[in-house]
Amino acid sequence: MSARSGWFARAALTLLLAWLVLYPILVVVVDAGRGDALATFVSRPGEWGALWASVWISLASVVLAAVIGVPLAFLFEWLEFPGRKTLGSLIALPAVLPPFVGVVAFLFLYGESGFVARAVQAALGLTRAPWRLQGAGAILLVHAYSMYVYFYLFARAGLAKLDASMLEAAQALGAGRWHTLRRVALPLLRPSLAGAALLVFMTALGSFSAPYVFGGGFRVMTTQIVATKLNGELPLAMVETVALALVATLGLVVLRRTEGDDILAALGKGIGPLRRPIRRVSVRALATATGWALAVLLLLPHVTLVLVSLVPYGTWTTEALPPVLSFVNYRRLFGEPERLRPLVNSAWMAAASTAAAIAVALAAGALVGRRGGRWRGPIETLVALPWALPGTVFAVALATTFGAAQPWALRWVLVGTVVLLPLAYLVRNLPVTGRAVLAGYRQLDPAVEEAAASLGAGRWATFRRVTLPLLKPALAAGGSIAFVAALGDFVTSVVLYTYDNRPISIEIMGSLRISELGVAAAFGVMLMLASALVLGLGARR
Amino acid sequence: MKAFVTLDGVRKQWSPTVSVGPLSLEVARGEMVALLGPSGSGKTTVLRLLAGFEALDAGRIVVGGEDVTAVPPAKRRFGMVFQHYALFPHLDVGENVAFGLTARGAAAADQVRAKVAEALALVDLAGFERRRVYELSGGQQQRVALARALAPEPRVLLLDEPLSNLDPALRERTRRELRTLITRVGITSVFVTHEQEEAFDLGDRVAVLHDGRLEQAATPDELYEHPASLFVATFVGRANVVRGALAGALGARDGQIVVVRPERLRFADAGVPGVVRERRYTGAAAFYQVDTEPGDRLEVQAGPGAARVGERVYVEATGVMTFAEGGGGVRP
Repeated sequence: MSARSGWFARAALTLLLAWLVLYPILVVVVDAGRGDALATFVSRPGEWGALWASVWISLASVVLAAVIGVPLAFLFEWLEFPGRKTLGSLIALPAVLPPFVGVVAFLFLYGESGFVARAVQAALGLTRAPWRLQGAGAILLVHAYSMYVYFYLFARAGLAKLDASMLEAAQALGAGRWHTLRRVALPLLRPSLAGAALLVFMTALGSFSAPYVFGGGFRVMTTQIVATKLNGELPLAMVETVALALVATLGLVVLRRTEGDDILAALGKGIGPLRRPIRRVSVRALATATGWALAVLLLLPHVTLVLVSLVPYGTWTTEALPPVLSFVNYRRLFGEPERLRPLVNSAWMAAASTAAAIAVALAAGALVGRRGGRWRGPIETLVALPWALPGTVFAVALATTFGAAQPWALRWVLVGTVVLLPLAYLVRNLPVTGRAVLAGYRQLDPAVEEAAASLGAGRWATFRRVTLPLLKPALAAGGSIAFVAALGDFVTSVVLYTYDNRPISIEIMGSLRISELGVAAAFGVMLMLASALVLGLGARR
Repeated sequence: MKAFVTLDGVRKQWSPTVSVGPLSLEVARGEMVALLGPSGSGKTTVLRLLAGFEALDAGRIVVGGEDVTAVPPAKRRFGMVFQHYALFPHLDVGENVAFGLTARGAAAADQVRAKVAEALALVDLAGFERRRVYELSGGQQQRVALARALAPEPRVLLLDEPLSNLDPALRERTRRELRTLITRVGITSVFVTHEQEEAFDLGDRVAVLHDGRLEQAATPDELYEHPASLFVATFVGRANVVRGALAGALGARDGQIVVVRPERLRFADAGVPGVVRERRYTGAAAFYQVDTEPGDRLEVQAGPGAARVGERVYVEATGVMTFAEGGGGVRP
């Protein structure tokens, strides 16, 4: 590629990304500034309450997730006990449960008429359900369950990188086990823990499914935005969107600062720590029992979902366990075209958006993956931006931008068409595929491409025969995560779907509304299986 | 000498302070030229300019009468062996070697297969077609890289530090094999190395680079016996560099620097007086560090029993080279 056409391609990609990612946000900011919506926002205590709720729920989620995830990481990385390997991978199970499906499973399990509540009610002979799963506590329960995985995985990765000789050095210097943990291990883990904290904070801030289902009167900003939009107060919804985006950006900046440099990476890899077998029989039994109990606890939502999906409509009323089980819900799913539609819709939209996100990521990688130059910064920032903002923000921004016909401003009416939702999935998927592909490009030895060129392969042949096959693991990893995210998406779908492209999550919500719990669960199981399958394929070497 | 490859005033400006060239060099058909220099001397840049991976800022490159300055690497028909080989990890040995045969469109499958077998046989790896590249030893990988580069019958073979990735025991044997192979194929080659021994052993001629400039391009004998500059004299082979009083004692005029090789010094009955401080035994000979009375230290190569540590000796020079301070060479 000549210098000139290279410049042109980079500029074109930057503009495309800016139009997809930045422009909708700017449109919302400008719209929010019009009229008196800002004054309304400032004067309503409910708005400030929702904003504050978003912040403290997110911070509390970080604390809870860390309290569960970090000790587990130490347990599985430092100690040896029967079943450690199996349990260690089981423990990442919440990852295959799309957020909305997880919430529904929790509803079936711990909700007012869920299995646990019924069991307790039956055991104690109560006339009413012993609790209601609602409000901040319920939201935090779901967050802790689904987000501790980040801390667990990050801390384990950090611990695996830790040089055993460093810990031995501390002990040789006379430090006890606690002292070593506090003064050596934890400080060295800081970058991993900060990374996990950032991820949990951003996920919790953008979390929509849990507050939507369990919030009741308790509003966080994401649910507040959707409610305001449904009320028709569009300008106010814009202000709320901007407020949430600002909080997200602020959180990102503050948490990034605590991350610090990865000193472990700078020192290079030493020897991995030896796992210490637990010698005392009673302690080992306790650790094993705790581990398995935990695994059961973590698996319960999955099992619940499967069980409920086998309950035919109207056969389960007051019994503790469903009396009739059959595959009738699945037969209806695949037998009735209208029920099959959401599965087809989700599949094609997830596939199309993932393919497009991979194509954009590959373009970014090819243009700035190695020799960045001045375009690298803008392109990488634009690709990563959607990650920093909650899904609701992008949904509202895209709905606003593409709800007006102003071709001169690059705005067309896409609201109400089937293309807007996959477009939103594409934007949301960009950071995942982009990060994977750019990292893949960075690991690529430039000499390999030069070798291809010196053997007579042109640019396209080199890309097709050398670069692409070598990027395959990165593409599979990024692509599978993106596909699963789009397949199970609820946040953006609830704002942007139309009847013609209604995805699985929306159908689940619809089924829940008319109390077809079995059908809802069957959809959830399908989603869960597809997610597990795709993630498994993506992780395969 | 009729030039097959010509570098004519070639220059690459990396930054306002770092540049390579302008530099001119001619390589005859079938000749093997070594680019020798310390790290940072620009030797790899010259090779990459030849291959077309870097664009020239000035000058031109001509091969067989064709100006290839603006020709992209894929169309130069230059074979290249990379320092870390850059074998394609997703392809097996046979597919790696076949890559250059099929890169420019389809070729008959049996023809490709025959050529791959031929190239592999050439590097003594017949039958290795279906092996994975990461299963091979370093030496085998190097030979696959060589076979891959040679298979499309390039006009020129470029090698970037071809032996640096091998362990020392393997290096010498591989060097001999490489020399035999390239001589047999008769291909014009240019290779980069920072090791003098490698350059002397493999190169018909050696081009010494320093700070982006070509110091001298000549046969190994010429370089060793008649270095064109103080840098070449000290970079190629062992040398005592002597200034001041001792230089005068060895026959230099005022302000001249004397370079004398250890084997051109010997112990005698008269000459520069000094005391032996160290003796390093290497088998056939020994190197003696002598603190001379005029002040500097000299390294003398002599027989293993020529002197003892602590002994007073006289050192005599049988041949010295003199250079002007900061300037080029002056023949004695």
